[in-house]
Amino acid sequence: MSEEPRIGVFICHCGGNISDTVDVAHVKEVIGSLEHVKSAETFEYMCSNPGQEMIKKAIDEHKLNRVVVASCSPRMHLDTFRQAIKSAGLNPYLLEMVNIREHCSWIHDDKAKATGKTAALIRGAVERARFLEPLTPKSLKVTESVLVIGGGIAGIYSALELADKGYQVYMVERNPSIGGHMSQLSKTFPTFDCSACILTPKMVSVSQHPNIKIITNAEPIAVKGSPGNYQVDIKIKPRYVNLEKCTACGECAKKCPVKKPSKFEEGLAQEKAIYIPFKQAIPNCYTIDKDYCLFLTRGICRICERFCKGEAIDFEQKEEIISLDVGAIIACTGYNLIDSKLFGQYSYGFHPDVVTNLQFERLMLQGLHKPSNGEAPKKVAFILCVGSRSTATNACEYCCKIGCMNAIKHALLLDKSVPGAEPWIFYTDIRAHGKGYEEFYAKARDHHTTFIRGRVAEVIPKGNSLIVKAEDTVLGKQIEEPFDLVVLSPALVPNVGTKELAEMLGIDLGPDSFFLEVHHKLRGVETKREGIFIAGCAQGPKDVRETTMESMATASKVATFLGKGKISVSPEVAFLVPDRCNLCGICIEQCPTKAIKKGKKEVTIDPISCVGCGICVPVCPKEAIDLKHSTEAQLIAQIEGVSKEGDTPPKVIAFIEKMTAYGSADLGGQSRRGYTSQVRLIGVPSTGRLGLKHLLHAFASGADGVIFVEGDDSLFKEDQLRDRVIQLKKDLGKFGIQSLRIQSITTTIPQYEKITSLFDAFVERISKLGPIPKEKREELEKYLKGEQIATQHTT
Amino acid sequence: MQPSTQPEKTEKSEETKPAEPTTPKKDRWAFVHEVEKLPGGEYVLDCLQCGLCAGTCPTRFAMDYSPIQIMKMIQMGMREEVLSSSTIWVCSSCYSCYSRCPRGVDITTLMMSLRNLAIKEKVAVKKEVKPKFHKTFYEVVKKYGRMHEPEILIKILKKSDLNELYRNAKFGWRLWRKGRLQIRPTKISNHAEILAILEKTAKEEAQ
Repeated sequence: MSEEPRIGVFICHCGGNISDTVDVAHVKEVIGSLEHVKSAETFEYMCSNPGQEMIKKAIDEHKLNRVVVASCSPRMHLDTFRQAIKSAGLNPYLLEMVNIREHCSWIHDDKAKATGKTAALIRGAVERARFLEPLTPKSLKVTESVLVIGGGIAGIYSALELADKGYQVYMVERNPSIGGHMSQLSKTFPTFDCSACILTPKMVSVSQHPNIKIITNAEPIAVKGSPGNYQVDIKIKPRYVNLEKCTACGECAKKCPVKKPSKFEEGLAQEKAIYIPFKQAIPNCYTIDKDYCLFLTRGICRICERFCKGEAIDFEQKEEIISLDVGAIIACTGYNLIDSKLFGQYSYGFHPDVVTNLQFERLMLQGLHKPSNGEAPKKVAFILCVGSRSTATNACEYCCKIGCMNAIKHALLLDKSVPGAEPWIFYTDIRAHGKGYEEFYAKARDHHTTFIRGRVAEVIPKGNSLIVKAEDTVLGKQIEEPFDLVVLSPALVPNVGTKELAEMLGIDLGPDSFFLEVHHKLRGVETKREGIFIAGCAQGPKDVRETTMESMATASKVATFLGKGKISVSPEVAFLVPDRCNLCGICIEQCPTKAIKKGKKEVTIDPISCVGCGICVPVCPKEAIDLKHSTEAQLIAQIEGVSKEGDTPPKVIAFIEKMTAYGSADLGGQSRRGYTSQVRLIGVPSTGRLGLKHLLHAFASGADGVIFVEGDDSLFKEDQLRDRVIQLKKDLGKFGIQSLRIQSITTTIPQYEKITSLFDAFVERISKLGPIPKEKREELEKYLKGEQIATQHTT
Repeated sequence: MQPSTQPEKTEKSEETKPAEPTTPKKDRWAFVHEVEKLPGGEYVLDCLQCGLCAGTCPTRFAMDYSPIQIMKMIQMGMREEVLSSSTIWVCSSCYSCYSRCPRGVDITTLMMSLRNLAIKEKVAVKKEVKPKFHKTFYEVVKKYGRMHEPEILIKILKKSDLNELYRNAKFGWRLWRKGRLQIRPTKISNHAEILAILEKTAKEEAQ
């Protein structure tokens, strides 16, 4: 720092909110006498226009180059004051805010103590302000194209939306055709729209859109790059048929001698080894199944090749890997039905007349019949909640969300296709939560659908019929009824490969193994990694309507992300001091966003991917990493400023993660949840930023105890924090400091009671332990100055 | 969960002559917490009233309340009704309900615990044979260190139902001819050990 720091301190009364508990004039006096402080002012409302004018005027008058504002929470007014000093010609990052309202005046009653604490907090900020550096957010050009993984209804809708907005879209689909599960459905609830009639026009639009490129029979295998500029490797499996030449005339399939169960028909029909999944498939092209084709398995046949008039068969095709440059990725990989064979009591797989609801859809489109003998079923049982809403092994705890309405739809359709048929629905609770759904349910009741409230115990095959055994819980009677056909509603589980994809993309899975969004309510389509979005059933079970709406929301979010043409990246990132780095690579394992990469001769930190959590900083054995806006110098100065001098022991420093945990403490202040004034809070990007050195500095300069408060959703996970604290306790033991003087806790925003009561209990504990003796502090200080001390101490 | 269906339910299944349905007690949670402390009762509040237990129960026909109703009655704190029901005695401990319960409620073990509680509280129903059976079974095992069917049967039936005893004697004859039944009781070789086990369990039970 070449220029000498000239600091201005501005203390807010907050209209009595602060000044009623804190002797503001006294604080001004104390702070004004500090070194480097050129101006100290107080004002009724610092955030108001006159208050901001006052700051600007002072900057001008005293040639200030650092500003400290002591007022409310930075979560409230950080931007306000940054704008104010920016308009006065200072870099916004030269501002430091002190929270003396939520973290002080609102929670303490003792005026003397609150005043002392305020002075200490401001002193810390002033010390830190000396080392502040001007920073500018980086801006980065983005690639204006999007990769959509999955060609189901979610992928189709988001692709169309984005392509219409003018973005280049690549749609990657694992199967030979796009369309997903919706293409298998007969009709949709509650309007009885023909599923194919509403889906296939959209599929055609996708295939004809100039901005959309469909890549079928393909899967992503690697994702590199950073938000806005991803490089994705796509593996394309050979289909042994030339896409351009095939006219889908079907001659080949007529001649092919091999039959296999059709995946599209859910195994209820046979197709040839050269097949097209369904008539309206996009791309409309045949595919050879290499597991069944005689030539590919045994080296003989090639009949299809002889009969293809367009010479489209190409057995020479090889697996291909292409690389795509995209700005954003949408993961919409959809769902699968849970394997009903896991629940043996329903006889699925043992008797052909027990089918899943997806198979029932296909049966309806084939002309409803019993798979066993082809007769029309007269009495059909629909069993809901198969493998869902259960804590048993293999089952899912969540609700499948579509089973109820699907069964009601089937019951109504059954009435139409087999006149006089008897649908029975065995339910646990009917969940008809959408628009028009309750009316749909009422309609089914009117149409002589029998609703039995009770989970089915077992399905027993008996001759030609199936006996369903259940309790009618409303009547309190056990029933055993024979049925012709039993339809199960299995739970929805994430599609095969969801976990691998999540790992590849660097995003999280929830406890239900679906993709996890950033916020359940407010940020439902974004993931923890910027530029990666989710849509449809890959995020959780949902019906078609919800899926299309979510897909459009996702498309809109992607457009917002890419629309500016560039992305602004926070400058608060980790940086490397290359001279000190010895390429040990410890930091690489610690980085939660994979921002650190190891080259042949150097380690690099990608400033775009880095989120500035600081976890890598203390783990570096060579102290080669530092974090901008929370540098070692700034942090240590603040720690010393807060803990040095002033008021009575014990002094406890609470390092608090700046997002969730800080918000929680703020909420505690807003709720006026009082706690001991001995605790001083220091905001850090995450408690992973802190190492042994910081604790030693804290203890050397006057602290008697340290608390780590981490947010529950932080990148620095609870078990990592626990491990780190255990290690720190061991290390501190070597310096003769009791492990009881350090404590960690994680919290969510509403759980402020948890942290405030910990504060009280911890201070009580530290009071019992007593302050750290002066000699010890001197020893620590000596050590920190570079002198080794004997490490065998017992206090 | 539909609390309102409870009275309706018992009303409609009148042919099994249940006890009069009563309104939930004010101190319903006291009973819930009592049950939660019993073996098998840990998850009694997790029951989502799906009815799978009742549907799967092979002895449901002989019960006055179905297992699902017992679960609901526990949740509503209907202590006397639960303890005086025949359900807890009719349960044959086949564990079908537990193995299929989607919430992992150990209904079978809970039924046993409720039986113990019923005996302790002396509300075991007189008409039920099972409490007597349990007692006799215990006595016989204590005496010989093992089961002896004829003696159990005779002890239970000799005072109450001589016709039944006669029918069973004929059946026993057939069993004896096939070598499936011993007329004379035999003691096990180390009888003292069984006695020690019984003594210890009784002591633990008392605590």
